[in-house]
Amino acid sequence: MTAWILGGALVAAAAVLPLVTASYLVSFTIQLFLFVVLAYSWNVISGYTGYTSFGHTSFFGIGAYGATLMMLHWKLPWLLACAGGGLLAVAVALPLGVVMLRLRGSFFAIGMFGLARVFEAVAFGWADLTRGGTGLYLPPAYDLRPLYYALGVLALGMVLLTWRLDNSRFGLQLLAIREDEDGAEALGIKTTRLKVRAFVLSAVGPGVSGGFYAVYLSFIDPPTAFSPATELTTIAMVLFGGMGTVLGPLVGAAVLSVLYEGLWARFPQVYLGAGGVIIAAVVLLMPRGVMAVAMRRGWLPHGRGTLRRLAARPAAPAEA
Amino acid sequence: MRTLAELLANGLLLGGIYALMACGLNLIFGVMRVINFAHGEFLAFGALLGVSLVIGHGVPFLVALVLVAAAMGVFGYLLQAALIERVVDGPPIMSLLLTYSVSTILVNAGILIWGGGYRGMPGVFSGSVPVLGMNLSQARLVAFAIALGLTGLVYGFLARSMLGKAIRAVSELPEIATVSGIAAARIRYLTFGLGGMMAGAAGVLMAPMFASDPQMGARFVIKAFTVIIVGGMGSYAGALVGALLIGIVEVTGGYVLGQTFGTAILYVLMIGFLLFRPSGLFGLRVVAR
Repeated sequence: MTAWILGGALVAAAAVLPLVTASYLVSFTIQLFLFVVLAYSWNVISGYTGYTSFGHTSFFGIGAYGATLMMLHWKLPWLLACAGGGLLAVAVALPLGVVMLRLRGSFFAIGMFGLARVFEAVAFGWADLTRGGTGLYLPPAYDLRPLYYALGVLALGMVLLTWRLDNSRFGLQLLAIREDEDGAEALGIKTTRLKVRAFVLSAVGPGVSGGFYAVYLSFIDPPTAFSPATELTTIAMVLFGGMGTVLGPLVGAAVLSVLYEGLWARFPQVYLGAGGVIIAAVVLLMPRGVMAVAMRRGWLPHGRGTLRRLAARPAAPAEA
Repeated sequence: MRTLAELLANGLLLGGIYALMACGLNLIFGVMRVINFAHGEFLAFGALLGVSLVIGHGVPFLVALVLVAAAMGVFGYLLQAALIERVVDGPPIMSLLLTYSVSTILVNAGILIWGGGYRGMPGVFSGSVPVLGMNLSQARLVAFAIALGLTGLVYGFLARSMLGKAIRAVSELPEIATVSGIAAARIRYLTFGLGGMMAGAAGVLMAPMFASDPQMGARFVIKAFTVIIVGGMGSYAGALVGALLIGIVEVTGGYVLGQTFGTAILYVLMIGFLLFRPSGLFGLRVVAR
């Protein structure tokens, strides 16, 4: 119950924020929302399904370019164009997922990393469409509030979706794939179909928010669209919070956003390396993230909601 | 016909340097099943250190090569001993994440030290030499010769010396190696050092050919991954053959399809091998699927 009140208060605070305050905080929160979306999306495929992707900026960049081109050539309104960018990312993710998810572990990670580099190279090389390294310009957005609410709704959607996922049969099946894919297959879980579904699901958020990011910057070029720094930050956030947890990505995104903002202001030379230091520290010191530490210390209930409820259910009578 | 011969020759020359880089990467993978994501940054640091020594301090090229290779070797040894050793026995994705984080830390350290711009090594082995009626770049010829020489030297070390045999033993059967009295952890430090040394040397050799920058690692590490996947994970000879092959494919692909899509060809090759022949041309029977 407290969790619901706390969550409601957080959402209400976020909803009134742009009505009462200056543009700096709004701008900061837009970037926070952006990373919440990216972190939760990455969490679906890498946290729950166990397929660590080093190339999810592919979908971010595809969404960014898709939405920008739709706005420039088809004169679509930005919201519709961003949805279109998301659809494009899904359309690319589906065949890619079928191929890439045959790779396991490190090979999937490296394959995805290479893929992002290829998309970046194509964005550079296909100059007729993307104007290569010059980039594409959009009319600047003077009022950031519509963008703020659109990204906020998307971020909230990702949190709720993950909460549903964590409590669903689908989510548990994904966890089974993560823990032992061959075992899951042997138990009758249709692993390929579910993995592809998770992969496509994890491309939606980056695809749509890529468009939002292009609107926010009113500019897109290949290094921005397929930036390894975006990838790194997302991964650091989810690892820090805890992979495959409902609240971990939110905690990670919030803590690291504030940290990055502080570092950016005081020590701009080192802030890019901070993501690397955080990942190294998490891998070495708390590989299951802050959420696992919080559970161990007793600040949070142990285990998953579904499993807790299953365990609390009165046992079935031994003899029928 | 002349162009074809020149393309093949240039591809082969480029491949020789990839071999030096990729053999070290594959050696590391073979011994500890860790894919060193930071291998490209070893190369970048090698190249930039080389430029600093040769251009900044007037050190002769070959002396700089030895100094940088030694420094990167020590660096690799310490990195393994201090950090990566702790996750060697964990899930492979943890060691990959750790080397990934090391890679980004090194990129940013490189930008702090050398700035973000490109640095060349003008005046070292410039010009070209006629070979069999073709004009080949002197820098590429020298780099190729030294790179293949070093790769061969390390091969000889692995094949003949006691230490090399210990490395191969840990690579093939770590438990048996341990009970036979080989200190597996020390062998792992040493292997990482050897890999760092080879990548650092490859970086110095590359510096006269291409302008170097702290972010060049990502471009080359993908090529090195492609090489060891095509050649076969964990196979030293496989990486050598794969590197020469990839060099040729890259140069001819770039000539036929343009630079952008030429690079994409390499990637298609890598994914194709991962999917249909995960053990590569000569690899261990492992792991990709």
